[in-house]
Amino acid sequence: MALSVSELLPSAAPATSRRQIWSIGGGKGGIGKSLLAASIGWQLARMGRRVVLVDADLGGANLHTCLGLPAPACTLADFIQRRVGSIDEVLTDTPAPGLRLISGAADLLSAANIKHLQKLRLINQVRALDVDVVLIDLGAGTSFNILDFFLLSDVSILAVVPEPTSIENGYRFIKSALYRRLRAIAPNDSVRDLVDSALDPKNPYGIRTPAELIARVASDDAEAGRQLRREMSSFQPRFVVNEVRDTADVAIGHQLVAACGRHLGLRASYAGFVHHDDAVWRAVRRRRLFMSDAPTSRAAEEIRQLTRGLVKGEHLGHGY
Amino acid sequence: MATDTGFGSGMREDLYAVLGLEPRASGEQVERAYRFSLELYGEGALATYSLLEPAEAETQRLRVREAYEVLSDEQKRRVYDEAQGFLPPDSPVLPFRAPALTRGGEPELPEVLTGAELRKIREARGVSLRHIASVTKIGMRFLEYIEQDRFAFLPAPVYLRGFLQEYARLVNIDPRRTADAYMSRLGSQS
Repeated sequence: MALSVSELLPSAAPATSRRQIWSIGGGKGGIGKSLLAASIGWQLARMGRRVVLVDADLGGANLHTCLGLPAPACTLADFIQRRVGSIDEVLTDTPAPGLRLISGAADLLSAANIKHLQKLRLINQVRALDVDVVLIDLGAGTSFNILDFFLLSDVSILAVVPEPTSIENGYRFIKSALYRRLRAIAPNDSVRDLVDSALDPKNPYGIRTPAELIARVASDDAEAGRQLRREMSSFQPRFVVNEVRDTADVAIGHQLVAACGRHLGLRASYAGFVHHDDAVWRAVRRRRLFMSDAPTSRAAEEIRQLTRGLVKGEHLGHGY
Repeated sequence: MATDTGFGSGMREDLYAVLGLEPRASGEQVERAYRFSLELYGEGALATYSLLEPAEAETQRLRVREAYEVLSDEQKRRVYDEAQGFLPPDSPVLPFRAPALTRGGEPELPEVLTGAELRKIREARGVSLRHIASVTKIGMRFLEYIEQDRFAFLPAPVYLRGFLQEYARLVNIDPRRTADAYMSRLGSQS
């Protein structure tokens, strides 16, 4: 069977190979990232994957509550402070077979609290976990540690809700992550300086978008421009629009993808959406996950569709 | 006029790109893409207000309306397509009859390749058009026409096949299959 074009491109491969890292970020707090992480993880486990959820939410680790669990005795803090030797020791079982949790510690990924070597040890041990999918709830913010986990992920999910502040933060998150990645591969100081200055909206070069940055780099140094462009095309965040209420809200996802392509020069995709649903809220109140508490709810069905699409590397077409 | 700087705002200025369409889009697609783009650039639209200044959004809206005015009018669109070298949407483009492509588990190309898809592969592999032009001595213009599917401006099939094979070699994909998959859209001429 012939392959599609997307399969010839880096990082567009379907998410079926073993041991993948998925992450959910979004910049803004209170947009349902933890519930998305818990429910996608739950659904992945239902599909037979061995899943570890990692709670890296610095605004307050509460992924355990989403899953109906009491606060676990051992958390990532114990691993980072070396009170336990291996990350396996902070794994907590959940009621869902195949789904385990690494509970977070408040402020875990904030820049001050985790040093570079600690981060490397964490990344290495997360990568070595004997599971199919490690799903990281990144929590709010755009600190370097959060961006780094987003960037090293095989599937980078960007959650937004159809509200101005969330969309603004989403764009900021994407730009910060991309510039951090471009900076890391910059072949020399002058390219690195250009990347740094591009982060400032009032930079003297008038660079406002990643596409303009790369054009500027390429005009001085064609090879460096190629390297940056290659890196940029492998950066493919997947939007999830949460809490939609009508078709106009659903369309926001398509518009975000189009805006990223036309005005940032980025190949984002639209992984799916989840409706605002009282069943979710009722389950949260009972400290239960809506996936098991209200499996026939609209939100649960949408999570199942979304997760299946993410596994297959599919996304929603723009419809025109 | 498209340039080798690749993607991003203002790079591919043809009217189809303004609406996010490929040439040969159907009338219905033009309608839907037009409505979509108007919403995308609408005043205070969620997805663009923080990316574009109000004046830039206004410019985008103007370009969208201009593009729609031409592409939604059969007569104007025909004139435009002809000038740009795009085949008209109702021209016969025969489905490809694949000569047994699958062989011994080698990675395969799709059976039909568009210019835009070729461009995506090339960009993902970090090869510039200028590089291909300088190595192969094929004019930049023709390489751009290939990626833009401006069939009417492309040379006779026998030359086009050669161009495509050279292109494929430099992008490091199978030359013969690339040429087959691209030219499949030209129907029996290949």
